[in-house]
Amino acid sequence: MFYRPDTFAAALRLKADHAAAIKPISGGTDLVVGLNRGQSLGVDVLDLTAAKDYRRIDHADGSLILSGGTTFAQLEQLDIACLARAAASVGGPQIRNRGTIAGNLATASPAGDGSVALLALDAEVELAHADRGTRWLRLIDYFEDYRQTALGDDELISHVRIPTPSALQASAWYKIGKRGAVNISLVCAAAARFLDGRICLAFGSVAPIPMRAVQTEKLLQGQPLTGALLHQAAQAASAEVKPIDDWRASADYRKAMCAVLARRVLEQLQTDDERQMP
Amino acid sequence: MNQPVRPDVPPSPTPYAAPPHGVVGQSCGRLDGATKTTGAIKYGADLFWGRAELFVKVVRSEHAHAEVKSIITSEARAVDQVMGVYTHNDMPGTNLQGLILRDHEVLTSGRVRYMGDAIALVVAESEATARLGADAVQVEYEPLPVIDSIESALAKDAYPLYKAGNIMGGKRIRKGNVDEALAGAAVVVTESFETQSVDHAFLDLEAGVACYQDDLLTIEAPGQWVHEERRLIALALGLEPEHIRIIQPATGGAFGGREDISIQIYLGLAALKHPGKTIAMRLDRAESVRARHKRHAMRIEYTLGAKSDGSLTAAKVTVYSDEGAYASTGPAVMRKAASHATGPYRVPNVSVDVYGVHTNNNPTGAMRGFGACQMAIAYEGMMDRLAIKLEMDRFDLRIKNLIQSGDEVTTGQHIQVATAVECAEAAMGKFREVNGGLLVQPDEAHLRRGFGMSVICFGLGYGDGFPDCARARVAFDDAGKAVVYTGGVDVGQGLINMVAQVAADELGLQLDNVRVVAADTALTDESGSSSATRQTYFTGNAVKLAAEEVKEELLDIAGAHLQLHPHEIELTSGFARAIHVPGKEIAIKELVAQGKKRGYKLDQQAQFKPGTLCEDFDTGQSPRSFVTYLFGAHVSQVLVDIETGEVKVERHIACHDVGKAINPQAVRGQITGGVAQGIGMALMEEVISKKGRILNGNFTDYILPTIKDVPHVECIVLENTDPGGPFGARGVGEPPLIGAVPAVLGAIQDATGTAPNILPCTPERVWRMLQDGTNA
Amino acid sequence: MTWHLECTINDAPVTRDIPEDLTLLDFLRDHLGLTGSKGACLEGECGSCTVHLDDAPVCSCLTLAAQAHGRSVCTVEALAESTTLDPIQQAFIDTGAAQCGYCTPGLLMAGRTLLDRTAFPEANHLLTSIEGNLCRCTGYASIIEAIQIAANESKA
Ligand SMILES: Cc1cc2nc3c(=O)[nH]c(=O)nc-3n(C[C@H](O)[C@H](O)[C@H](O)COP(=O)(O)OP(=O)(O)OC[C@H]3O[C@@H](n4cnc5c(N)ncnc54)[C@H](O)[C@@H]3O)c2cc1C
Repeated sequence: MFYRPDTFAAALRLKADHAAAIKPISGGTDLVVGLNRGQSLGVDVLDLTAAKDYRRIDHADGSLILSGGTTFAQLEQLDIACLARAAASVGGPQIRNRGTIAGNLATASPAGDGSVALLALDAEVELAHADRGTRWLRLIDYFEDYRQTALGDDELISHVRIPTPSALQASAWYKIGKRGAVNISLVCAAAARFLDGRICLAFGSVAPIPMRAVQTEKLLQGQPLTGALLHQAAQAASAEVKPIDDWRASADYRKAMCAVLARRVLEQLQTDDERQMP
Repeated sequence: MNQPVRPDVPPSPTPYAAPPHGVVGQSCGRLDGATKTTGAIKYGADLFWGRAELFVKVVRSEHAHAEVKSIITSEARAVDQVMGVYTHNDMPGTNLQGLILRDHEVLTSGRVRYMGDAIALVVAESEATARLGADAVQVEYEPLPVIDSIESALAKDAYPLYKAGNIMGGKRIRKGNVDEALAGAAVVVTESFETQSVDHAFLDLEAGVACYQDDLLTIEAPGQWVHEERRLIALALGLEPEHIRIIQPATGGAFGGREDISIQIYLGLAALKHPGKTIAMRLDRAESVRARHKRHAMRIEYTLGAKSDGSLTAAKVTVYSDEGAYASTGPAVMRKAASHATGPYRVPNVSVDVYGVHTNNNPTGAMRGFGACQMAIAYEGMMDRLAIKLEMDRFDLRIKNLIQSGDEVTTGQHIQVATAVECAEAAMGKFREVNGGLLVQPDEAHLRRGFGMSVICFGLGYGDGFPDCARARVAFDDAGKAVVYTGGVDVGQGLINMVAQVAADELGLQLDNVRVVAADTALTDESGSSSATRQTYFTGNAVKLAAEEVKEELLDIAGAHLQLHPHEIELTSGFARAIHVPGKEIAIKELVAQGKKRGYKLDQQAQFKPGTLCEDFDTGQSPRSFVTYLFGAHVSQVLVDIETGEVKVERHIACHDVGKAINPQAVRGQITGGVAQGIGMALMEEVISKKGRILNGNFTDYILPTIKDVPHVECIVLENTDPGGPFGARGVGEPPLIGAVPAVLGAIQDATGTAPNILPCTPERVWRMLQDGTNA
Repeated sequence: MTWHLECTINDAPVTRDIPEDLTLLDFLRDHLGLTGSKGACLEGECGSCTVHLDDAPVCSCLTLAAQAHGRSVCTVEALAESTTLDPIQQAFIDTGAAQCGYCTPGLLMAGRTLLDRTAFPEANHLLTSIEGNLCRCTGYASIIEAIQIAANESKA
């Protein structure tokens, strides 16, 4: 069966009732690639793209609330550097017009650019159930293992919240790919600095999950970003990540790039220090 | 083995003195442009709509090397809607394919040698059921050791893939005394290069339809040489060629990738087994990459010697080339590599050994550049290294050693019009227009800018005595339009416009009064393949010759009408005009009508067959290895991030001497497209496989340059008349790619101080190269 | 299972029962005979299958046909008005941007969006608007030129 509810509440109802027997589809930019490669869906399909309010961006209580169906094309327009740049680096316009933040988080690819940027922003994800209501999880607690997340079989991703966009001082993004556009990252990095001085740093393609470099972050807290500290942080990031060798890149390279990118995004935070984000 | 060189060099083809006076030299829009922009034109898979009745799916080997023990088809036959399952036992003919050697079974009877080998064919009422049927074919294999690299093929105890071992054959050049010359050289540079396996990656996947009816097998599928395909299909299926018709649908790129037979024989077999039904078959991207031949990966060991003033004295070159499982066009690629081993440079002492090595990788064959491309990477890489060693300017070193008109290339052939120096100077001149050629280094410490250059040559046509002939027919139809009939295929390069413009120019017509019938074995004569950069030169000449004959008739008719001697009449802009009497004229349309009534045929055929000479197999020498040579030079400027290894091509200049640009816009399109493919090969494209299994057989993982990877290419088109080409034209297809790759590599070297020798230069390879001082 | 699809394709209402896992590309090509949109990779990498879904360019190979329900789809076949080519089509012909022509329909649809949305596209916008479309023949030069020409034409 193919379901195409026109409200998100109806979608939640269907998901709660059918659990694993129904597969949500948003932009289809992950799901249909698999379908075209011969992986049958095997289950009923729950199309979320007709649901009203699934593509909204709202401001509430000093937070920015993104509906799950917010596309990369919408994210590109945001005034949050790391998220906008990450979104702009996803596929081509055709993919950005369809691909959604919920799809990115649900797929939970270690190379998920949206996921990495949101991790650095210390975002929270809302997992919703028709009867149990919703639960908010920090993204750092959401990604569990390779393509495994806290998302339940009977839940949908309803929203993502960036807790304090007004408290955000600066953010930065860097992605290394093999060509000038439409890249799966070899390594990507995002960093954010909040007004309270907190710095978050996240990497993609260097671990089974999009990862926060918590150890490195610890080094940075409350310290002025001197050259010496940047160097130390770069080394720490490189030591902290757990990349694998695959034919796209070796673990050595990825580790080395974490050091380079850590320094770059952190430096970027400094130069953008004065920038006031809305 | 030794074949003597024929002492009599055939004369060069008739020179055409007459300059073009009409549409030759104009950037006329494509005749098929409108249907290409409205979506109306039909490519292979577009033919399915409303026609396809049965669908074919091939079962391919699960092993790169194995003995097939049994093939059980009963379960597949039982699948609903499956109409037939066929194996080698059902092949009516030789069941063999291969462009040079017939060494490749269409449906394997015993041994599979790569993962693209086909074992069975399923015919069903839908693509989905054909796939289900294919999945139900049970094949029992006895795996054999897999040879997945040149090294493992050459290892002492390597499993022999063929009775004769793993070396398929070789080609050599012997000229002068290399060892002596190297011993006496003031400087000697030695380096080894590794080039990668490259996929043609044309966008239009292999697809087509076929039908067998009234003793005629009609196959509509894209290839590069319809008449040769007909011969090969006839052989494999045991039919007379007269009973086969091949029609080329619109074709979305080829680049050599359609030279080997792809789906045609499967379509033909299915059609024979299901007469009267329209059979459809297409490959998806993964199957296309898995089945199709690739560009030869080569390991090139190069030693170059020079005097202290930079004059080259000796080159010693050894090449191992991964031929993959079957020969394909490998022997010809090896020869092309050998004959282009020293490029456009004067080197008195040369020794080249090219060895083709069988592996269980995909067969390797034709791809734009055809062996000459890999060698350009090596010889231009050597020139850069030599310049550094000599502390000489890279440009000056090249100019000093480039051949001039009358000099010989490494095969001993003297080149009549050698314009390498002009090309190099034009390209460098263009580069120096910006800031005198001085690069400004970026402020960021991790970014380095550099430029590189290349000068290349390329022998046009099949060469080396291989029969190479084009035929054409030019006729006026009843509506008074000129029709050009050619067996040549347009795969996007613009053959249709080329032949139309040549004929229109000759006949004094506007382009819209010319129609082209191409690539249909029932309607057109053989014109050779669309490959080897040969169609403009060969088919262009044949069309021009046929048009000249028709023109003579027209002038004759016009003479009678205008009461003038034919020599006093010119054909121009759709009219026959008295040259010396203004206003005295008659429309060509009118002439055609009159002439036809008076019994003029206005329908002429011609062939163009200039001939080349087979090389002496011991020395590789041939006084006429190719009909003519092309020259080109590139300058590329890159920005390298020395911390991440990312490379961006910022500027690229490409200069090619095409003799005469029949359609300048089409020439520029070939140049900019070739540069893009060259950038892809230099920086990102690589078929990666492990134990014969391709790991990146789709566009997510086999990446092609996007618009963000290709800078605005500055094209310089030189037109030094070729003595044998139509209106002095040579051709342009392959050289732009050949020139682009080494220029980009040289720029990376200039930017970083380290010269890459393994392709492609991905960020990681460049980074590693800078860590280790080499990217090995 | 089938889905009862109702949508608009090239301005005409279309009603069909379709398999629910059918992609929009296969629907257009195999069910409607609109073969202008091409499938070259089926992974969203090449853009040959680009169509407009409610005015936004998308890969029809990654969109389920059923997801077009209630929406409007526009393909390359609808660019020209009867025999009058769209300026971008004419520009592609004039600059030689359609070489083999296989990527052309997708590029036209991507380029058309840019022109619809931006009166004066900057160079960088232009490049980004077609970064999701691969062309193996032209090296993109003539394509950029064509879109620029069409943009100037729309301005005039
Ligand atoms: C050519 C191409 C390039 C790409 N480039 C990038 C890139 O650069 N960076 C990157 O990160 N990704 C990239 N992607 C991957 C993809 O676009 C992203 O992961 C995108 O975010 C997926 O979103 P979607 O809406 O299309 O997901 P879908 O394909 O619709 O769904 C993906 C998964 O999420 C589930 N899902 C969807 N919505 C919900 C929901 N609301 N609640 C729970 N589960 C849900 C689905 O069931 C499915 O398992 C690329 C894809 C393509 C085809």
